[in-house]
Amino acid sequence: MVNFASRMEKTLQVLNALERDGVLSRYAIGGAMGATFYVEPVLTFDLDIFVILPQTARGLLTLEPLYEALRARGYTEEGECVNIEGIPVQFLPAHNDLLLEALAEARQTLYEQTPTRVLRAEHLAAIAVQTGREKDRERVRLLLKQASLDDNYLASVLARHGLEARWKEWTS
Amino acid sequence: MERMDKLRPEIVRLIAAKERRRHKLAALPFVDKVRVVVQMQQMVAPVLRARGRAVRVWALDNSNPVGQK
Repeated sequence: MVNFASRMEKTLQVLNALERDGVLSRYAIGGAMGATFYVEPVLTFDLDIFVILPQTARGLLTLEPLYEALRARGYTEEGECVNIEGIPVQFLPAHNDLLLEALAEARQTLYEQTPTRVLRAEHLAAIAVQTGREKDRERVRLLLKQASLDDNYLASVLARHGLEARWKEWTS
Repeated sequence: MERMDKLRPEIVRLIAAKERRRHKLAALPFVDKVRVVVQMQQMVAPVLRARGRAVRVWALDNSNPVGQK
């Protein structure tokens, strides 16, 4: 049997290599593809990757060293994304406490044979509430309906990050 | 909108079947869901491109439609 890695698997292997090499401190799949891990497939054209970046000497949070490392591996930018093995990857730095917590507690999983991480469903829901766009409401609705959310854990996340009021508004 | 309890039984059955299919899709392995997403991209991309939006359909080596090996 021919065993070949799919492009998606290769993309994740590149992300793992970047983490191993210290170009990024930690990554996890989020956005629509993260939600798709828990619910029915959701149309998207980007693979949203949340990242914790190593701090620069001046304490700046910049994607430039990551882009530079990807360019050195032959992957080029396309608008807001970087094309890694045929998949447009959008890197989103963890810029607040909710995202840092979501990355720290992301779920370890395998994609075919390759280890990767996906944000927990409860964090995806909380991030959607925090982001607050119309499509985030739809994401919350889907997660509530189809994902097995841990209600106590979700309540603690929402409370920690001051999102209870909007959650009530969106789900009542 | 017509209330569910006033719908004809065959329509209620159709809606229920649709809901079951959505739950079945949600229960697929992640790898299969990624293939479904790529199939959706293939369907939607021409429409978006016609509207002037540049989109890239993901290249998966083993992107056979789900259920077809």
